[in-house]
Amino acid sequence: MLAKYVARRFLASVVVILGVTLITLVLMNTTRGSYVPGIDLNPALRPEDIARLRASLGLDRPFYEWYLGWLWSVLHGDFGRSMIDGSPVMAHILDRLPNTLELTTTAIVIGVLISVPLGVIGALRRGSKTDHALTVVSVAGFAVPQFWMGLMLILIFSVTLQQHGLPWLPSSGAFSAYNGGDFFDRLLHLILPATVLSFFYTSIWSRFIRSSMLEVLSQDYIRTARAKGMSERRVVYLHGLRNALIPLITLIGLELPGLVSGGLVVEVVFGWPGIGKLAFERALQYDYSTVMGVTFFATLLVIAGNLLADLLYGVLDPRIRYG
Amino acid sequence: MTQPLLEVQDLHTVFRTKDGVVKAVDGVSFELTPGETLGIVGESGCGKSVTALSIMRLQRPGRIVSGKVMFKGQDLTRLTESEMREIRGKEIAMIFQDPMTSLNPVFNVGWQVGEPTRLHNGWGAKRALASAVSMLGRVGIPSAAARAEDYPHQFSGGMRQRAMIAMGLTMTPEVLIADEPTTALDVTIQAQILDLLRHVNREFGTATILITHNLGVVAGMCQRVIVMYAGRVVESGPTPDVFAHPKHPYTWSLLRSIPRLDAEKHEPLRPIEGVPPNLIDLPSGCVFHPRCAFRIDRCTRDVPALLQINDTQHAACWVTQAGGELKGA
Amino acid sequence: MIGPSRVAELDMPAVGIETGAARPAQSYWNESWERLRANRFGMAAGALILVLALIALLAPVFSLITNVQPQSINLDETFVRPGLRHLLGTDELGRDTLTRLIWGARVSLGVAFLTVAMSLTVGSTVGMVSGFYGGWIDDVLMRFVDVVLSIPAIFLFILMSLLLRPNAITLAAIVASVGWGSVARLVRGEVLSVKQRDFILATRSIGARDMRLMLRHLLPNVLPVLIVAASLGVGQIILIESALDFLGLGIQPPTPSWGNMLTNSQSYFFRSGFLVAFPGITIFITVLASNLFGNAVRDAFDPRLKS
Repeated sequence: MLAKYVARRFLASVVVILGVTLITLVLMNTTRGSYVPGIDLNPALRPEDIARLRASLGLDRPFYEWYLGWLWSVLHGDFGRSMIDGSPVMAHILDRLPNTLELTTTAIVIGVLISVPLGVIGALRRGSKTDHALTVVSVAGFAVPQFWMGLMLILIFSVTLQQHGLPWLPSSGAFSAYNGGDFFDRLLHLILPATVLSFFYTSIWSRFIRSSMLEVLSQDYIRTARAKGMSERRVVYLHGLRNALIPLITLIGLELPGLVSGGLVVEVVFGWPGIGKLAFERALQYDYSTVMGVTFFATLLVIAGNLLADLLYGVLDPRIRYG
Repeated sequence: MTQPLLEVQDLHTVFRTKDGVVKAVDGVSFELTPGETLGIVGESGCGKSVTALSIMRLQRPGRIVSGKVMFKGQDLTRLTESEMREIRGKEIAMIFQDPMTSLNPVFNVGWQVGEPTRLHNGWGAKRALASAVSMLGRVGIPSAAARAEDYPHQFSGGMRQRAMIAMGLTMTPEVLIADEPTTALDVTIQAQILDLLRHVNREFGTATILITHNLGVVAGMCQRVIVMYAGRVVESGPTPDVFAHPKHPYTWSLLRSIPRLDAEKHEPLRPIEGVPPNLIDLPSGCVFHPRCAFRIDRCTRDVPALLQINDTQHAACWVTQAGGELKGA
Repeated sequence: MIGPSRVAELDMPAVGIETGAARPAQSYWNESWERLRANRFGMAAGALILVLALIALLAPVFSLITNVQPQSINLDETFVRPGLRHLLGTDELGRDTLTRLIWGARVSLGVAFLTVAMSLTVGSTVGMVSGFYGGWIDDVLMRFVDVVLSIPAIFLFILMSLLLRPNAITLAAIVASVGWGSVARLVRGEVLSVKQRDFILATRSIGARDMRLMLRHLLPNVLPVLIVAASLGVGQIILIESALDFLGLGIQPPTPSWGNMLTNSQSYFFRSGFLVAFPGITIFITVLASNLFGNAVRDAFDPRLKS
């Protein structure tokens, strides 16, 4: 029954979230005893300031009180305040979140749109030169460091093209500061970062689709389909692919933490104003509470994404839907 | 003399493997007359399934290297793929052994049973579904309209097989090939499915090829039977005759190795000695000779052809062709 | 015996078909080693990693011979193109790129191996205990793993770098603190499937204690999976670690690592493309070798999984 399945997955997610909050606070707890991150970098801080800082962060209260207080704030959308300027972390997150979502979902969509055809081709032409070539490209693809790929693409498509007076692709920001901001401008800015982010996963997913298709095509029901007299195309794409895609959803769910992590690196390289870049900038300034808040939020994103994937899986696989 | 509906003539299908060429079907010939039920019996690996798949041209990755399959005046081995698709599911249908894995888990049963009509008749979804529901009812599935919306995993084993049979018959084919239709089912359900197949054969007049390794099934269902061994037909004839006086030592040994209600008490079961041959490296002469209780010198050298032994039976055996009797050894 | 993959090709149910020649019985490990040896690409990849490790170890010797240190600044020779004097050119402070790459190998490979060792140790212990005992222990441990794996790793690493100024060892510990999770899941899966097998029951029935069962019977069966994970893991860790170094949150300059050699690269894009290319290519080649070797090892242990 779909409802039961969804409820179960949701409950599991809640448990995981609670676990994450625990880890989050254990981490924060390691510092609250004596050390406030970054405090030794600012010699101008007087003891009173330090005490005030600690009080505002709740570091002088017993652990469980602090934990509950923190949970309470989080439930109300208060993810803490910046240690630098006291501004609410949530405000910063909400400001940058759309950009991160834009980048991440585009990368996933590109990844799926490219890896599925490649995987299918690899499966159908198994053992052929095309298949070998695709395999080689895939294996190479997940050996490339994402940040370096970003740098190289910027070097080639921004710097070098610009140097030679050719039209070039923008390499930073989500849109141009001057007369920019329209759809096309945003699209241009999205190209390089989304390509880099999706490249790694396209390699993995195309291999996966290939083996999933191979497995599906060796199933008995494919033989039955052929025996009914349908075209090979219908056998492969209607009967076969429909089954082969289902495990991909689970895989994407499992890869989400990696995607969000990779998103941070890509955002930094391309100056993309998302929550990853936010965390990085604030980390450089030792703004521990902001980084903490963003980390927790990013984890929530991952968990939500997983829940979405589970739901999708439940909808697409009738064995789950009608248990 | 009725014209045979399907005539397999000296069919050879091989598989190329790393270790050599496997002659899965090694010169098989038989006929099927309209409306009859023919049994193909033999051990696992003897080539009976591959023969059936070859008729349907679904034998990949194997290759049909020679022989003919005559159906309504056409040689099926020579047809193009798209011509063959006209025949599959429409004039010759095939159902398989394990209905759980033979049905697509992501589409509901009604949709799958109706698919042949959408493919071959170009019917729309509604009409196809209606005919599917009607077919499901005819194979004995209760509340067919509701059940048609269910998915294969929601059906029981027996019902799934009924659904497969419905799927095979939905275009009222002239030939139905059933590859071990009951092997994956419980014994009580087996009987029901066999009843259904018998009923279908009577009501629709569909000629049926029933492939099985179970002699009991053959005895209850098939008018004629052919016995296969190592890719060849070693015996053929009307079922009662073959069972009463088999004319090939392999059939003879098979019959002796199964427990029978009418056997003498204390009579030991006799398994056939030896193991099935390696299809890449077949024995010389008669393939069965290493395990044969009746072999003579000639059997190790010359390959016997399938020849008529008496009015009704054919066998590929030097001993019986020479008039020898197969009696207790 | 015609193996399982061949039978599938025959499209017939498996049967005891006998081939003529009888092969001598071999242990699983011997057979796997033979298969691995037959895989030329895989062996080449493994050899490459060994060579790189060797180069890394011998870095000081290299510097002794060439008389070039990785930290030697020479402001007269910045951004030199690859040539005879500096085989791969120099960077923005005139330091020789090739020397820095070689020394960087010490860091990258060192951290990677250390991390893998830590991840595998912790992960396999947790996985074995979890899979072996089952019940609430399993539930709790696996929930914990779920939690750890849900947090996007880089964010966690950033946090931890703020807390512990990373050197090579603490960096390895930081990366391992997430990495053990997938190892634990993997090992638990293997343990669960091995647990089913009858020989475990048989061994128990002769009175073997838990610890003995785990160490002497489960562990050897779990080892193949661990070896594959280790081979593939080296590459994955190098990718993560170099990303951290690049962000400035890992190994700090002036100690060269392949990642931190790229940290400021965006500022000298226009001066030298080589500087951007070389460290990345090095990472790429190393990770590729690790992936290829890992795949080869996996195929060697379980040829049925080959596509």
